[in-house]
Amino acid sequence: MTDCGCDKAKAELEEYLHRELSDQDFRDVTEHLENCEECTNEHTVGLTLTQKMQRACQEKAPDELRAAILLRLDGAGV
Amino acid sequence: MTTAVLERPSAVRELDSSAMTDTKPDPAELRALFEEQAVPFMDQLYGAAMRMTRNPADAGDLVQETYTKAFAAFSQFEQGTNLKAWLYRILTNTFINGYRKNQRNPYQGTIDELEDWQLGSAESITQGRSTRSAEAEAIDHLPDSDVKEALQSIPEDFRLAVYLADVEGFSYQEIADIMKTPVGTVMSRLHRGRRLLRGLLAEYARERGIVAPEPTGRQK
Repeated sequence: MTDCGCDKAKAELEEYLHRELSDQDFRDVTEHLENCEECTNEHTVGLTLTQKMQRACQEKAPDELRAAILLRLDGAGV
Repeated sequence: MTTAVLERPSAVRELDSSAMTDTKPDPAELRALFEEQAVPFMDQLYGAAMRMTRNPADAGDLVQETYTKAFAAFSQFEQGTNLKAWLYRILTNTFINGYRKNQRNPYQGTIDELEDWQLGSAESITQGRSTRSAEAEAIDHLPDSDVKEALQSIPEDFRLAVYLADVEGFSYQEIADIMKTPVGTVMSRLHRGRRLLRGLLAEYARERGIVAPEPTGRQK
């Protein structure tokens, strides 16, 4: 087993988080995270940030807007 | 695979293409298909529009205009391709060409060239291994309004990239297509945007006094 090391992992954590890495790189970083507390903590912060944003940004379109859009579809023709 | 990374359910959602026949659909059919496929994205598009325009009135107008344009072009939409990305492209174009022009934005056009030190840095706030789990905890405890405020206050191109990647789960390539920029630019905007956000949230947490105490005895 060859650990890819903190430098590579740190540089790729954001792409790792967003699932943009190749399978091989993904495995390398996953493996590194299993053995490195510091990088795991860094990854946790990144993941928390993303999940927090996802929860905070939930919106519901106002009913009037929905009604207006549907009404316009009927009037618009194609 | 149990590793905690993000899932991207919405981006890979397959549309049911069986509803579309080979023949040109009539207007009523197209109207029904549009309502079935595109209208369910309204809440999401409205959420994005809120982050773009920063107010409900403009967000409503933007979403309405997006749907009008999307419906007008819907016969050209290729069934089976990513409708959500297609709708976001229209939303983003409409925003950039219409609404953004009316807003004063001193950074526009130059933001990607700014050096990191000009943007401020989260490093000083988030340094040190021992504080990171505390940092995640603090972010988690912030009210949603702080997160929205932080997003509102970072430069627009960064905000869009972060929103599209983190909230909507689009791939870098999809974001590049939506924002009409190279993938490298998307990555840079994402990285800088997230770093700014992290710094702001750490600041808010400190102001609210909800930063967990720094653990001792685990120094580098």
